[in-house]
Amino acid sequence: MDERSPSGTSPPSPDDLPFEAALARLEGIVATLEQGDLALEAALAAFEQGVRLSRRCAAQLDQAERRIEALVREGDGLAVRPFAGPEEGGS
Amino acid sequence: MTEAELRASGERRVFGVGQLVAAVRGLVEDAIGRVWVAGEVSNLRRAGSGHLYFTLKDDTAQVRAAFFRADVRRIPFELEDGLAVLVFAECSVYEARGDLQLLVRLVEPRGRGALQLAFEQLRARLEREGLFDVARKRPLPAFPRRIGVVTSPTGAAIRDVIEVTGRRFPATPLLIAPTRVQGEGAEDEIAAALDALTTPHLGVDVVLLVRGGGSIEDLQPFNTETVARAILRSPVPVVSGVGHETDVTIADLAADARAPTPSAAAAAALPDRAALGDRCARARDRLRRAALHGLERRVARLAQRREALARVAPRARLATQRARFEALSRALALGAATAAERERGRFEAAVGRLDLLSPLAVLGRGYAIVWKADPGTIVRRAAECAPGDRLRVRLGEGELAATVSEPDVHAPPRRA
Repeated sequence: MDERSPSGTSPPSPDDLPFEAALARLEGIVATLEQGDLALEAALAAFEQGVRLSRRCAAQLDQAERRIEALVREGDGLAVRPFAGPEEGGS
Repeated sequence: MTEAELRASGERRVFGVGQLVAAVRGLVEDAIGRVWVAGEVSNLRRAGSGHLYFTLKDDTAQVRAAFFRADVRRIPFELEDGLAVLVFAECSVYEARGDLQLLVRLVEPRGRGALQLAFEQLRARLEREGLFDVARKRPLPAFPRRIGVVTSPTGAAIRDVIEVTGRRFPATPLLIAPTRVQGEGAEDEIAAALDALTTPHLGVDVVLLVRGGGSIEDLQPFNTETVARAILRSPVPVVSGVGHETDVTIADLAADARAPTPSAAAAAALPDRAALGDRCARARDRLRRAALHGLERRVARLAQRREALARVAPRARLATQRARFEALSRALALGAATAAERERGRFEAAVGRLDLLSPLAVLGRGYAIVWKADPGTIVRRAAECAPGDRLRVRLGEGELAATVSEPDVHAPPRRA
């Protein structure tokens, strides 16, 4: 879900940004719009971006589905597997 | 006693030195054997072999002690000069030197628990190395991408962490490295779990090191140098939440952040979803207001510009200029007329004077101008004319053609 984006490519769209980046960008756009120096087209574009970013943030906050995994011994090494829960496993 | 009495007092048996010493040793081992002795450590010396040799003393006496490496390894703390201890030792004689000696098997500190002493000694040593310095502590990421948890896979600690992270920010994934958290050798497993969890490709950017409450013996693995160094070499920040609120462990001191409980550790690692939701909502409101305000401002500016434009439009300017022009023309004409009036006045005056001076005005009084028709010269003297000359006569009004009938009748006599 929150894989780091590869460097050297074009900036990720608002729909793919991790929460922290989306919120930071949103607050940046708000500050720019409040300054009021943008030409009309740029201001409208910025507003639209801002709305998409704010939806992205909300979506991530609302996400309740969890991903809980554990490192388990497999063969010679360790693998990532879903965590069975505190009821299982040894001490 | 006299010499004779001394000689008579003891049994005349001759011992070799070795025999004597051996006999004394036997007596000591039988009569005293293993015993607990309270005293103070002094003259501590560590041999290359790892065996420890020291003197155990009190106010009145002292005795040499030997503490062999195999037994030394049993104790968690270090012997130091001045330490008040209780030793369990075999009382014997070191025959080669004929010295009374304690062969120490167990040592306990007096006035503190062994583990407590070990903790204090390790703490002081690592502190001197600067390993607990605040400058080494790393800040926690504001929005972790993946949280690592080193803990027992069973028990309250992991349940608490799962619950608290679920309340604060459930979208953040957890990766658990299960390990024993007490017992012999657990510190090695804990260190290995930390190392495994922080391998870069796993993307863990903060680790929680947690376990529930327990006795000082239970918590012992978290008071080891092994775990401390594993925390310090972690490439990502570590938050410790070990034991109860009042417990402080070496792991707590080495960690980048320290929490009183596993739940608190989980809370420290994540932002609060509710607070973030507020922040997003506020950003959204500001966004809308800024956009709306921006639009209003632009509309107002447009109207303003239109007005200004209207003021400077060519048609308007033309009308203005035309008005000016007409005004000026009128003024000019007015001015001209006035001037013209003045000029006419002068003119008429001049004409009037001219009229008076004009020869033609004289004619009005009865004079006439006479021309000889041929050539057209004005006649001033009668002598200029001969009878028969044709004349033109200009009168005040009109002209006559005349012919000279007689010569000059009044010609003055010619002077000879």
